Amino acid sequence: MRLKVGSVIFKKTATAESSNGGNAARLQSFRTNGLGLKSQNAQVAATGGWPIFVQRYVPWALLFVGLVMIPLSYYTGLIAIGTVNMLGRYMAFAIVAVGLDLIWGYTGILSLCQSFFFALGGYAMGMYLAHHGGPEGIIDANNWKIPACLYVVYPYKVGEAPGDALVPWFWKPFYTLPVTALLGLLIPGLAALVIGYVGFRSRVRGVYFAILTQAITVAGWLVFCMNNMKLCGTNGLTRFDRIAGFKLANPSVKVSLYILTLLSLVGVYALCRYIVKSRLGRVLIAIRDDETTLRFSGYKPYIYKLFAFVLAGMIAGLGGMLYAPQMGIFTPANMEASASILVVVWVAVGGRGALSGAILGALAVNLLYNFFTSEKDFLLFVWKAEFWQFILGGLFIGVVLLLPGGLIDLWRRLVRAAR
Amino acid sequence: MAFCVLRTSFYNSNRRDTKILPVSYVGNPRCTPMPKVRILFRIFAISFSLQVLSGFFICSARADDGFIRSEIHKLTSENTATRKDAVIALAKTGDMRVEAILQSYKLSELYVWNEAVVLCKEIIEDEDFNEFCRVADVLTGEPILDAGGEPHEIPVEELEEISPSRAERKLANSAKFLLRLSSPDRDIRMSGAKKCGDPPGIIASVRQLREMSENDPVKKIRYIAKESLLLIRLNQTSVASDPHAHLEVARELGNMKSMRGRPQLQKLFDALMKTPNGAKPVYDDARKTYKFSIDQIDGYQGFVGGVGNIFRGLSLGSVLILMALGLAITFGLMGVINMAHGELMMIGAYATFEVQRLFGHSPDNPSDLYYIAALPAAFLTAAFVGYLIEVSVVRYLYRRPLESLLATWGIGLILIQLVRIRYGDNIGVNAPTWARGGVEIVQDLVLPYSRCFIIVLCGMCVLLIYYLMNYTKLGLRMRATMQNRNMARSVGVNTQRVDRYTFAFGAGIAGVAGCAWTLIGSVTPDMGQTNFIIDSFLVVVTGGVGELIGVICAGLGIGVLTKVVEPTQIGSFVVGAIWAKILLLVVIVAFIQFKPAGLFAPKGRLSDI
Repeated sequence: MRLKVGSVIFKKTATAESSNGGNAARLQSFRTNGLGLKSQNAQVAATGGWPIFVQRYVPWALLFVGLVMIPLSYYTGLIAIGTVNMLGRYMAFAIVAVGLDLIWGYTGILSLCQSFFFALGGYAMGMYLAHHGGPEGIIDANNWKIPACLYVVYPYKVGEAPGDALVPWFWKPFYTLPVTALLGLLIPGLAALVIGYVGFRSRVRGVYFAILTQAITVAGWLVFCMNNMKLCGTNGLTRFDRIAGFKLANPSVKVSLYILTLLSLVGVYALCRYIVKSRLGRVLIAIRDDETTLRFSGYKPYIYKLFAFVLAGMIAGLGGMLYAPQMGIFTPANMEASASILVVVWVAVGGRGALSGAILGALAVNLLYNFFTSEKDFLLFVWKAEFWQFILGGLFIGVVLLLPGGLIDLWRRLVRAAR
Repeated sequence: MAFCVLRTSFYNSNRRDTKILPVSYVGNPRCTPMPKVRILFRIFAISFSLQVLSGFFICSARADDGFIRSEIHKLTSENTATRKDAVIALAKTGDMRVEAILQSYKLSELYVWNEAVVLCKEIIEDEDFNEFCRVADVLTGEPILDAGGEPHEIPVEELEEISPSRAERKLANSAKFLLRLSSPDRDIRMSGAKKCGDPPGIIASVRQLREMSENDPVKKIRYIAKESLLLIRLNQTSVASDPHAHLEVARELGNMKSMRGRPQLQKLFDALMKTPNGAKPVYDDARKTYKFSIDQIDGYQGFVGGVGNIFRGLSLGSVLILMALGLAITFGLMGVINMAHGELMMIGAYATFEVQRLFGHSPDNPSDLYYIAALPAAFLTAAFVGYLIEVSVVRYLYRRPLESLLATWGIGLILIQLVRIRYGDNIGVNAPTWARGGVEIVQDLVLPYSRCFIIVLCGMCVLLIYYLMNYTKLGLRMRATMQNRNMARSVGVNTQRVDRYTFAFGAGIAGVAGCAWTLIGSVTPDMGQTNFIIDSFLVVVTGGVGELIGVICAGLGIGVLTKVVEPTQIGSFVVGAIWAKILLLVVIVAFIQFKPAGLFAPKGRLSDI
């Protein structure tokens, strides 16, 4: 009885304060110093000066660079189309990172199956592209063209002549782009719903949930690697050719895809920002900081967790859908165990608990990767691609031990110091 | 004069056979051949008399050289029957040197030169394309020397080839198996007995097989000899000619649960199902008998297979337990998730490899002691690396499992890459000789020694940990720290040291697991990350961190479940490793629904990690 009363009061205050400009003192109290991730926005805003100018206009400047400068510099010949394409791919990764930040940085659930959702989305789009890919391919008995990549690894049953191979039923919905786009969001969402439901219902928490999702990712990877699943096995989906009738090899299609990815990233960022600034977002933060107290206050944390988890899964799926056409190939390697932890390191490096940090981290780590996986001749020794693992391992350790707030925290500290 | 090798054999298709049998093999490995035939005669005479005197059974299978030579000479005869008799007589000597002679005979490597049979393995050619042959003694394989002490090289024209017909070659081949029946070595004898029975069966061996099936000192050989005997008889008789004897044999094979009889019976059964005049009562009877025998064999094999799978599961579970124990202890004690635990296991495996190299152990040159040294070496190496990890990283991450998960994953990446750069992607650890083979508890149920050893090792480690936790000072401090760190510290426990030792100890156990794994699995730099870390965490999740017993139950359960489900067949669908893993995961998820904190849930503060 008492609890119920308390919860009503709590809800009321929360509503009242959230309409009051976002300074919800009550919920703010949930933000213990456990993670050391207090947002400094409020303090910075209060002091004024040039930092606020930077704070306000840097994102717009970056958006301008991404949206206008980069395509422009391609068309003026300053950068190669490969670079634009690469940035597009990294932005697809950044989308996944924003999703993970929502679920990990704000809700406190470490999910190690974001790469699985990413791959689900990627496979959806990849199947669409494979349907319309490659000049070769065999027409089956039902007048469907068997995609070339599928045909190569199609496991025949004994006695089944090559001519008897049919396009599997689950390939057929991915023939048209709108349905594919829809399924590419729904399938990861559904998967997240199931995983989240069984996980959160029984209050699997913290590191247990991380291990569980990691195991699910590995299981998914194993399944997608099987040849007789008719998902092209470890070869993955290949021989992409056209998207919505346009040739993928065409540079302006690549630029368009890049811009589409950037806009999606902005959209996802805006959506997540809206959520975390809303009352719902503060409940999510409350779950991160003290789930038990929240539950005692009358909330059902698992509904909120499930919502965040499903949303993050769908965002990851979107990332995968944008990644596949830009990469030109989609293999199960995208959902290996190491890939799933890599997403975490993007967010950790950028700074969890800050959506812009996730984007920053994903881009920074991937650009580092891009830089360090080519052979370089320094004066004293030759840098080899295989040394990248040391940097990556060092990033994992360093960011946890030395920079728990990530790059964005470093940036904020710099801004504060400049005041 | 420059020579070059022209060809090693007249039959190119058999070239491989030639290579397998090195010249030195021609001599009996048990009785070192002497260089000169005459000396050999003398020594043989002495050793023979010694044997007779002592009654000791060392080289009993060594036949009289004079007899062998005379039989070999008969191979040059024009008469087919004589040649055939000679082959059989040679085979019945039971002298293992004869095997090589028969092999040479089969490959047409025997020649007549100066009225004597000689061996010529290769033909060499000089610059003028004249072909010469380095001849060797047929029995010892030693090159025949000329007056100057150099190997004799004889122009090919002087040699007369002995080329057996196809039938004779076949006979020589089967005579090899016949020969093995008289070998003093039990493995050779066993393989001979097996080969004699394989279809079409060597009828000449029946008498010897019968004798073996009754008198051989080894039980398994008696069984195999009997089985072979029955198989030969099954082939000789048929339902049409002698239904009574034939079916008796079929029934007997069923009673013996003969694995080798199964395909034969199935073939006969299928043939019978196709015969149009199968309505006769005799055929009906035969069909029933076959079916009954097949079912009998299948039932037994199913049982044997099931027990074997459980056993494999137990050994896999043992490795998982060794891994999970360290994880559970460090998680319980410090609230740290160690994702580099799999890499510590890998380090244990590579330490084993290094020790093996140090001892120079290889399959050809075994030195089994290395494994005894490898166990502590693996433990210490992994423990040392674990200690370093604790000191450098983990101690800053107490009670922050998620952060520790990331940091230790990074450590794992670095360790993997270090090992990969140093050792490459795949190395071969050769199991010691005693770990090869297995003990056959009941017929056809072979438990490999390696897996038995792993189970025993795991049991010993568990006992050791139990003792350490419950009866030593360190264990007491460990438990105190686990229950309440601050209280333990306030009563004078140096918790930091306890943490370090515990972490190192857990790492060392993982190293032992790696050392054990080299007996049954492959060793790669990323073995921990791909195969073990997730599985052992699932063991911890299922078992709970509170009690050792939880880890043990969960480990064995998961191991056995995996290995039992894997080969299960539903209709035409074999479950296989991947679906077994997924099924296991589903089972674990379902299990967590009912027991979220594992089998043996921790109580109190521990539960709120």
